[in-house]
Amino acid sequence: MIAWSLPRMKLNERPIARLKQINHILNPQRGFSSVKQGSKYSPNFKQYLKLPNGETGSFFHDVPMDLNLKDRTAQMIVEVPRWSNGKFEISKDLEYNPIVQDMKKGKVRFVHNIFPYCGYIHNYGAIPQTWEDPTENSRNGGLESLAGDNDPLDCCEIGSSILQTGDIKTVRILGSLALIDDGELDWKIIAINVEDPISSQLQNLNDVNKYLPGILEATREWFRDYKIPDGKPSNSFAFNGQYKDVADTIEIIQDCHDSWKKLVSGSKENEDFKGLPQIKRAGADFAVKADEQPAQPIPKDIHKWWYI
Amino acid sequence: MAYTTRQIGAKNTLDFKVFIEKDGKPISSFHDIPLYADEEKQIFNMVVEIPRWTNAKLEITKEEELNPIIQDTKKGKLRYVRNCFPHHGYIHNYGAFPQTWEDPNQVHPETKAVGDNDPLDVLEIGETIGSVGQVKQVKVLGIMALLDEGETDWKVIVIDINDPLAPKLNDVEDVEKYFPGLLRATNEWFRIYKIPDGKPENQFAFSGEAKNKKYALDIIRETHEAWKQLISGQASDNKGIKLANTTLSDTPTYAPNAVSDIPAASPLPDAPIDKSVDKWFFISGSA
Repeated sequence: MIAWSLPRMKLNERPIARLKQINHILNPQRGFSSVKQGSKYSPNFKQYLKLPNGETGSFFHDVPMDLNLKDRTAQMIVEVPRWSNGKFEISKDLEYNPIVQDMKKGKVRFVHNIFPYCGYIHNYGAIPQTWEDPTENSRNGGLESLAGDNDPLDCCEIGSSILQTGDIKTVRILGSLALIDDGELDWKIIAINVEDPISSQLQNLNDVNKYLPGILEATREWFRDYKIPDGKPSNSFAFNGQYKDVADTIEIIQDCHDSWKKLVSGSKENEDFKGLPQIKRAGADFAVKADEQPAQPIPKDIHKWWYI
Repeated sequence: MAYTTRQIGAKNTLDFKVFIEKDGKPISSFHDIPLYADEEKQIFNMVVEIPRWTNAKLEITKEEELNPIIQDTKKGKLRYVRNCFPHHGYIHNYGAFPQTWEDPNQVHPETKAVGDNDPLDVLEIGETIGSVGQVKQVKVLGIMALLDEGETDWKVIVIDINDPLAPKLNDVEDVEKYFPGLLRATNEWFRIYKIPDGKPENQFAFSGEAKNKKYALDIIRETHEAWKQLISGQASDNKGIKLANTTLSDTPTYAPNAVSDIPAASPLPDAPIDKSVDKWFFISGSA
């Protein structure tokens, strides 16, 4: 383990400085950054959250969700930039939940290009401090037979900029799609970066259809088909693939935030379920050291275009 | 057929140039690469200018000796194609057939438009992403006639002979069979790609339909003949195209010593692309 200890600042020492530190930690987008280790596109790649005080934190637990009911915004952590293929995600298994590349059969995982799309078609990521509880069936009408996929809520950001892995952005919530992936409920929240030039014009799904015609249909098609090249069946959707509106989506986020609270409180540990996410958080004066290595090449076969 | 490339400068800058070399010596990408890699088997050489899913408008230049590949500019600025939803950048490995010319002095009897003064454009549809200046051996499958601002701008559809699907693809209908939707996407792409720049939609001749292999081979032959006129100095107007070449000893512009004027390789890492190029344009009613 590469780690070093931060000089501990005692509470009675320089209280204003300490207060500023805490303020920084609690205030999103002010000073969060990343620490990278290993080679991108290799199993040893890890990107940790770095708090303003230098401590290592968890993307899953230490970035505030910051759900704002008036502006209908929340925070999002970007895992995969638009038009790229590497399936990067917040790790559940590793302490402090760094972003890693998903593995399958001992190999790093890439999504295939589904014609006419190239890689992921959104800036794809997760809403921190949310969790789709795999131990309980959904309370959402129509989904009572489904349990969550054990991940933070997935978020598709549709703005015009390409965002980067590890970016933390405030996004406006626009709607959601209930994907059923291998029998698990896997909501996809549709959102736009509030910094996007047209974000103020986008308040609901109708606006999305008006300003980005075709994107909602493309999103549905993409999630339906994206695993077919791996020999899996197409995915299905609850509610006949209809999108949920902003109000319903905010309820879903709140539900998943409540589930997350139970998770981090440790009250889920006595469940039968194997593989609950790591819940270790910042606060132990622990910091990983940057040790980024040159990226590995992307395998050539990932360039193939799949015609479904 | 040992073609290599000689890069000068960084991609995404005005300095960027790629010369094609044969046996380590620079040659003209327009004139010195034989059109036919194997005439009997109807295998053609294609020069890749733009790799699939990229935006920089790279092309064989007519204005510089030995016609290196450079990035097109507009009002002094580097030119990039916009991303038109659902597409990302160019959707083919885009390039040209060497030793062809769409003669701007000739009106095509069917499209009723003059040529666009460029080598014939080629769309390679195989699964591999090509590289700038790569010389690919390809099989011809069909052709579409884009009418771009009043000029005929043929787009020949081909596949790399080394692609796993190449043996199964023999004519235009096989494209729809093995790449369902690609011809429609190609049609849409060329119709709308200039709309984000404030230009009108482009038109296709033949109601947008792709013509078959035989038709394509005829156009290739015609444009090859037009190039022969050009390179032999017999074109009615050569439009100032640089005709220097290092292999065609019976042409007036044969210049085996042109090589000495070409700078040595000095490749630099890619320069960043302006963020505005990342934008996805949603053009309603395009699909």
